[in-house]
Amino acid sequence: MAKASWRDYLPQDGRAAHRLILVREQDAQHSGSGCCGRLGEAHTDLGGAADYRHSRRLMEDVGVIYREARAAFPQLVVEVVDPRNTVWLYPAVWQDARAANRSARACFASLRKAGAAVAVILDGEVLFSGRLPGTQRVIETIRARLAAP
Amino acid sequence: MPAFYLIVITLGAFYLGYRFYSKYLAERVYALDPNFKTPANELADGVDFVPTNKHILLGHHFTAVAGAAPIVGPAIAVYWGWLPAIAWVILGTVFGAGVHDFGAIVTSARNRGQNIGTLSGKVISARASTLFLLIIFFLLTLVNAVFGVVMAILFEAHPGSVIPAVIVIPIAMCIGQWVYRMRGAVLIPSIIGLVLLYAAIPLGQAYPIHVDGLAEMLGLSVRTTWVILIFAYTWVASRLPVWLLLQPRDYINGQQLLVALVVIFAGVVVGWDTITAPAVNEVAEGTKHWFPYLFITIACGAISGFHSLVASGTTSKQIANETDARYIGYGGAMGEGALALAAILACTAGLGSAADWQTAYANFGAASGGALGNFVTGVGHFLSNLGIEASLGASFAVVVVVTFAGTTMDTGVRLQRYILEEIAELAGFKALVGKTSLLTTLAVLIPLALALVPGGEGDGGKGFAFGQLWTLFGTTNQLTAGLALSVIAVWVLARDRNPLAAIVPLTFLLVMTSWALVLNLLDFLAQGSWMLLIMDAGIFVLTAWLILEAATALNRQRRSA
Repeated sequence: MAKASWRDYLPQDGRAAHRLILVREQDAQHSGSGCCGRLGEAHTDLGGAADYRHSRRLMEDVGVIYREARAAFPQLVVEVVDPRNTVWLYPAVWQDARAANRSARACFASLRKAGAAVAVILDGEVLFSGRLPGTQRVIETIRARLAAP
Repeated sequence: MPAFYLIVITLGAFYLGYRFYSKYLAERVYALDPNFKTPANELADGVDFVPTNKHILLGHHFTAVAGAAPIVGPAIAVYWGWLPAIAWVILGTVFGAGVHDFGAIVTSARNRGQNIGTLSGKVISARASTLFLLIIFFLLTLVNAVFGVVMAILFEAHPGSVIPAVIVIPIAMCIGQWVYRMRGAVLIPSIIGLVLLYAAIPLGQAYPIHVDGLAEMLGLSVRTTWVILIFAYTWVASRLPVWLLLQPRDYINGQQLLVALVVIFAGVVVGWDTITAPAVNEVAEGTKHWFPYLFITIACGAISGFHSLVASGTTSKQIANETDARYIGYGGAMGEGALALAAILACTAGLGSAADWQTAYANFGAASGGALGNFVTGVGHFLSNLGIEASLGASFAVVVVVTFAGTTMDTGVRLQRYILEEIAELAGFKALVGKTSLLTTLAVLIPLALALVPGGEGDGGKGFAFGQLWTLFGTTNQLTAGLALSVIAVWVLARDRNPLAAIVPLTFLLVMTSWALVLNLLDFLAQGSWMLLIMDAGIFVLTAWLILEAATALNRQRRSA
């Protein structure tokens, strides 16, 4: 059966669930590309991949974090989202932040920083936004946050 | 009839289509398997292959497939009355686009996320890849031509919208600098950008931009002058790095799409407008009849081949569970259908009395030349229901259409440049390879020449064959869909499933496309429109080629089965 919502992807054994959202742009044109164009994107027949080299680099950097995070924290729900997907991203960050009992001020701060070319968000808290430190530092920061009471 | 009823009927039909027909497709035709290991899981690298929850993926997929084309086509097609237009949007979405978009995701996912161009070469024949390239070449030429004219028509009719439409460019560039250079977060800048954009609407009303003086100096009509200025802009825009203008404009377009959908439907509900257009418009003998032209006038909004590029490009590599393809593919198609519905509502319930509507849609030339003007007038009316002045609302609608059309042209010219280079390489014209400026100039001049083709029956003497260009664009878009449906049908047959769900829309599209192309061919011959005749003949050859390839591949598969 199809999963009904992201909550269905969470562990179902009663443990406290944590969600990591990795924000990064896809290396492709986003709006209006089905009517009519589709520029960018590696592995496409049409071209434009070279135009999106900068996004591709970020995708690959986030890819390393994604693999490391999944290996290091198997209990963590990891989602990768494009910052242009505002309809999903901002409600999800708000929902996670509220679920983690953050203050309204902290929730708004998270919203403000969540949509960037690249961002790492754990349980509604934006750990990094705009620029990423090395993968190990990201992983260590996540580990520290998860270990915190 | 209150326009609200049309919303209920259409969305109700979409719901039933999703509830029952997509279930049939999922179980009987595509035989989705929840235990199938999708490429996102099998090849998970966190880069291209990422198991993604279906709500995120629907957001990505829908904003990528939606654009200006599902607005333009329905705005023209209501010329034949609201009933044929809405019936084709409903039937096309439920039995065409849903099957196509959903099928393209599944077929690609079952082939390790390969895109539709590669799959056509693999599943149909090696020649099909070349066919795909040629169809895309024609499609892009026509896309650039029609959207150039669309923007020119709007700027000529609504000079008050020029400032807000142009101000999008520096706003997007500032967002681009902020996001990609300074690596700042985008929420606040994009909200500020949107506020500035909307603040520029009254400014534009106060200072409308006319190019009459320039047109007179050049000895051209106002619309021709706008067309040339727009293509000149596109030449420059398509040479800029994508992070500077094209990418940041996505942030504005995404918000605009949602705002437009919300205000149109809210305006209809609050104003409780009635549909003043006739259910079926009796058109004069000898003019374009809805059968077969309706089916190529509304492509995006009923079925669009370009969706297969998104479905097989990104979406198929990210579905976490094969069963999610139904929600994302079929759901995305319904979203596009909703956009077409919004355009139909604006052009049938937003134009005033029945007499006003008859004036706006007096003949096909007026209907096509004035389609976008009618759409923005309708949206302006719906916004007036919400307490916003109608002229400001109309400017808002112009800005929505122009930002999408501008994005499409920027993309289209870039893609055309790459494709021209590839064709030059294949044909051995080494002199063109690597010459970006020359290739861009060619990519601009070919559609510009088409955009300036004289003609346009009864187009108020404005002298543009926009309606004909639009129908040619529709045929190429349907051919792209035909190619994707052929791939899907062969793949379904190879799995020993009944491929009729794909073959019926495929056959229907190819018959309607061929029929319309032949009628157009005769028209162009009679009018002596040689440029359009050559385009039409070229597309007809591609159609015949596609029919042969699809029939051969299906027959081969049937025999081997």
